[in-house]
Amino acid sequence: MTDFHPQVRQLLDGDINLADLPPELRAEGEEALRLLAAVDREPVTLPGTLGARVLAELRRRAEAPGFWRRLRLRPWTLVPAFAAGAALALLLSTPAPTRAPAAVTVRFVLFAPEAQQVALAGTFNQWDPAATPLVRTGAPGVWTATLTLPAGQHQYAFVVDGARWVADPAAPAVDDGFGRRNSVLSL
Amino acid sequence: MSGSEGATDGQVVRAVLAGDSERYAELVTRYRDRYARYAARMLGSADEAEDAVQDAFVRAYDQLAQCRDPDKFVGWFFLILRNRCFAERRRSKDVAPLEAAGAVAAPERPEVPVETAERRRALQHALLELTPEQREVFVLKHVEGLSYGEIAERLGTSVPSLKMRMHRAYDRLREQLRDRA
Amino acid sequence: MKAFCVTLLLAIAGTALGAQQDVSARLAGRVPPEIAALVHQLALGAAARGLPIDPLIQKAIEGSAKGVPADRVAAALRALTAQLDVAAAAIQQAGSNRPDTEAIAAGAFALNAGISAKQVTALALVSRPPYSTAATLRVASTLAAMGVPGEQTVDLVTQIIASGGPATDVLGLPGQVMVGVSQGQGRGVTPAQAAAGLARAAAARANAPGQNKPKPQHP
Repeated sequence: MTDFHPQVRQLLDGDINLADLPPELRAEGEEALRLLAAVDREPVTLPGTLGARVLAELRRRAEAPGFWRRLRLRPWTLVPAFAAGAALALLLSTPAPTRAPAAVTVRFVLFAPEAQQVALAGTFNQWDPAATPLVRTGAPGVWTATLTLPAGQHQYAFVVDGARWVADPAAPAVDDGFGRRNSVLSL
Repeated sequence: MSGSEGATDGQVVRAVLAGDSERYAELVTRYRDRYARYAARMLGSADEAEDAVQDAFVRAYDQLAQCRDPDKFVGWFFLILRNRCFAERRRSKDVAPLEAAGAVAAPERPEVPVETAERRRALQHALLELTPEQREVFVLKHVEGLSYGEIAERLGTSVPSLKMRMHRAYDRLREQLRDRA
Repeated sequence: MKAFCVTLLLAIAGTALGAQQDVSARLAGRVPPEIAALVHQLALGAAARGLPIDPLIQKAIEGSAKGVPADRVAAALRALTAQLDVAAAAIQQAGSNRPDTEAIAAGAFALNAGISAKQVTALALVSRPPYSTAATLRVASTLAAMGVPGEQTVDLVTQIIASGGPATDVLGLPGQVMVGVSQGQGRGVTPAQAAAGLARAAAARANAPGQNKPKPQHP
């Protein structure tokens, strides 16, 4: 049985000294202290080139077709129009020319000819209907907003006339936990 | 804003997130050695520590937008490095003892007596046989010099459970060192 | 050495304190006090179990912004916490002792989208570098939200990963399924059928004679 005696463990923890051990545990105590003396506490310094190498690695991954490259997704099909509420999300994907953590420019479009005002609320703007109003475009009944969003998965919905929460019919939708649906956008 | 004299971590992080990615190198320079010794003792060599720290910085960059408090970058970075150290040992569990010997045989400083170098190597080998949790508590207390209370706070566990872990580590280290003697 | 310890301790303690203050800051003015208190309480337990707390904050803000009654928001928060726990366990089943919080959040989202816990485990199992578990689960969630049944989602993702292409192949799956649906609209092709077609095509490519499978890219 090679377990240390409980008092020797206390010695290892620094709670007692070698002198506090009874004579029969002295040898075991010295063995324990030899173990501690073998601990390598020398500081470790890493090469000064580490910063340059990290940046080089980040650059390499941004340029090589790989995991962190933003995807050019196809525009979604315009679903045959329902009444006011058919929507279309066009993804304008710009592979980031700089190597900043990736962001994508997205244009949200809603066809809502009866609406007086339309806003966009989602995980990217704290679900604040006041934060991102859509604007009427030239085409009658068509509202749009353009945002630059960080990479990742976002949920959103349109808010029509300040009160009606409308999911995007052409986008994938999930249960929002409150009895409604949220639209999902993956960048 | 150019010039980085005296910029806080938070300022550098925010600058990087705003698109000035080159400034990330400042954080790397600032903190590359901070946990180098911890990583070296956890993984067995300074070479592996260098790989782990480099990987952790790359990973931290990818997740930089998720660093909740940019001014506490270093603590958040430590957790990324810690995960990397734990994951790495899981991956290389099947490394034969001989290969581990190669990794630990770093060039010794000339002023260190051969006997001491031998004992240090033996203990590092033995440390690598512990679970990552056991190794970590041993390293934090006996290499980094933290108290049980400080370690408990950092790892979010209790002092009694840490002591149990540590005492198991002591016993296993003793067993390992005896087998090699 | 002491200076190092103190700095390290402050850095870590600061992270913990900072996190709690951050929760308050993000909820301030956006949720009623009783919801904020519940979020704090759930977040403490969640953080201790290694779960992400960001989804809880987001859900609380969302519910309040939508004018949902407080008791309904509370129910949703508890349900979300349960989903995070189930997701963490499901990912651990795939062999990861310490699933990263991003993967757990993605897993909970997948459960919400209709993927089962077993399917989450299956997806985590096939997600070896360069395919990250979080990204795989997010893609699966999107596919499920598009109407592809869970089993087929797992099949499709597994097939694409097995054929060894770059990780962008996985990320592009929802778009490809959409294309399949739109191209087959006259014939009434459902997302499930489009997904099945993609899986068959990937399997055929992988098994074609003389095919050199491209090596997965290493990060």
